[in-house]
Amino acid sequence: MIQFKNVSKKYDNGTHALKDINLTIEKGEFVFVVGSSGAGKSTFLKLMMREEVPSSGTIVVDDIDLTKIKKRDIPKFRRRLGIVFQDFRLIPNMTVFDNVAFAMRVIGTKEKKIGRRVPYVLSLMGLNEKARNFPQELSGGEQQRVALARALANNADIIIADEPTGNVDPQMSYEIVDLLMRLNEAGTTVIMVTHEHSLVRCFDKRVIILDKGNVVSDGGSLVREAATSHINPVSEIEHRYDVPPEEDYSAYTQGTSAQAEEFAVTGGAE
Amino acid sequence: MGNLRYLTKEGFRNLKVNKLMSVASVTVLFSCLMLIGIAFMILVNIQSFISGIEAENVIMVYADLDASDYEYMALGNELNALDNITSVEAVEKEAAYEEILAEMDENLRIYLSGLDENPLPDAYRVTVTDMSRFENVVNEIKKLDGIERVYENSSLAKQLEGIRDSVTYISLGIIILLLIVSLFIISNTIKVTMFSRRLEISIMKSVGATNSFIRWPFMVEGIIIGVIAGILATGAVWAVYEFALTSFTSVLTGLGSGVQVSFLDYALYLVAAFVGIGIFTGIFGSATSIRKYLKERKFVELED
Repeated sequence: MIQFKNVSKKYDNGTHALKDINLTIEKGEFVFVVGSSGAGKSTFLKLMMREEVPSSGTIVVDDIDLTKIKKRDIPKFRRRLGIVFQDFRLIPNMTVFDNVAFAMRVIGTKEKKIGRRVPYVLSLMGLNEKARNFPQELSGGEQQRVALARALANNADIIIADEPTGNVDPQMSYEIVDLLMRLNEAGTTVIMVTHEHSLVRCFDKRVIILDKGNVVSDGGSLVREAATSHINPVSEIEHRYDVPPEEDYSAYTQGTSAQAEEFAVTGGAE
Repeated sequence: MGNLRYLTKEGFRNLKVNKLMSVASVTVLFSCLMLIGIAFMILVNIQSFISGIEAENVIMVYADLDASDYEYMALGNELNALDNITSVEAVEKEAAYEEILAEMDENLRIYLSGLDENPLPDAYRVTVTDMSRFENVVNEIKKLDGIERVYENSSLAKQLEGIRDSVTYISLGIIILLLIVSLFIISNTIKVTMFSRRLEISIMKSVGATNSFIRWPFMVEGIIIGVIAGILATGAVWAVYEFALTSFTSVLTGLGSGVQVSFLDYALYLVAAFVGIGIFTGIFGSATSIRKYLKERKFVELED
């Protein structure tokens, strides 16, 4: 559970990025955070990753108070998060496999475990064939899926996606959100920041709208909102986004993350 | 253990990725260390040269030419009775004469050996214990009877000591200055490496790598630069020193110094010191820049 209580953030330069935010994101929830540039989305994410501390108020993530957490405990806390960036942040001179493995190596995971886990998360993202490729040989959508695989590598229970569809074409955008949905179905909390209202409308999920540092709307799905405004967004979206073919995510979606880990250990052989 | 191997490998990779920068910093650090080494060897040589002169800094006490054997012996006893004396060695005129003849040019020797009389007086070679009270001893000796002449070169020793002190201070100053320069060079290289690897660092931070894990490869990089520069610098100092020795040997022996310092006596110290300096600058040079970097740099560089 993620809880923001009376959270305000004012930067040294005087910018009042967030004003008295109160919200709770339950474990296993899927939340879109929407807002235009300057609305406070990035600050919201930074606070959640403990990259910044609030000027006032408290933030609690799974019983960890981020305003009181010790500095040396921050890396450990971050291992519970899987972060996906708009610009993918893949290392160009590493293969897809190594990019995913990198996230595990830098927290000291044994090579043996990496050798089992990486192919598994790559298979979840449908990237097994691309393991030996370099990022620049992949499309934007594929690169973002590698980034997602990396976010999953350490078994994160919260995925934070910052504009994950910002640099990919509309069809891929849909696919990526769909992947996030599937991870969410498997029990992972997903928080996705975006400014693409049209994309959000495709999915019937909780939407938090930020504007000038305030939460101006929380909870209502944009699908329903749009329906009341005499537009049929779903057909519009279906026209824009071809629904991707089904892939087999059963190993991940049918079980908890612990089971997924078990799957990883056995190498998915059974 | 596996981690350590991985991190060390990463350090080597850093070096390879920034080849040009690595070569540049090894070169500059190497130059610094070489200058430190040369300053050090000059210092050691001057020290040894002066100690050589100091060790020779005995007082020659010449007895009156017409002194009897008894008077000569009495003078010896009086010298022995003085304070702050390590030894009093009798130099009888016959022996001294032989010695001089032996050192002489052959023609001159033939000429001198024709002399009937030994022109030298009997003498004593007095060695002083505490150099700071050297002049007191000289004055005491001068007060004794039956002395023809007292010969000593304390003033030369004093002058040399003054030189030694300034040389020591200057060398130390140079060494410290170069050390600081070395630190800057290493930390600069590490800064460049970190900048070129900022993407990786931001990913490392975002997936929860500890700061020490992030730091280690950069430290390894600094240490490798230091060690390579250190070993090269030792070799270079050796070469320069040997070259200088062969070039200046004649000058040095002319100065009466048979106290040439062998490089090999100091090679081990130099290697140890250089590698030590390399490791030290590697660790501190990188630590300071990394700390600053990790503190200032956020991994989510997003615009709101």
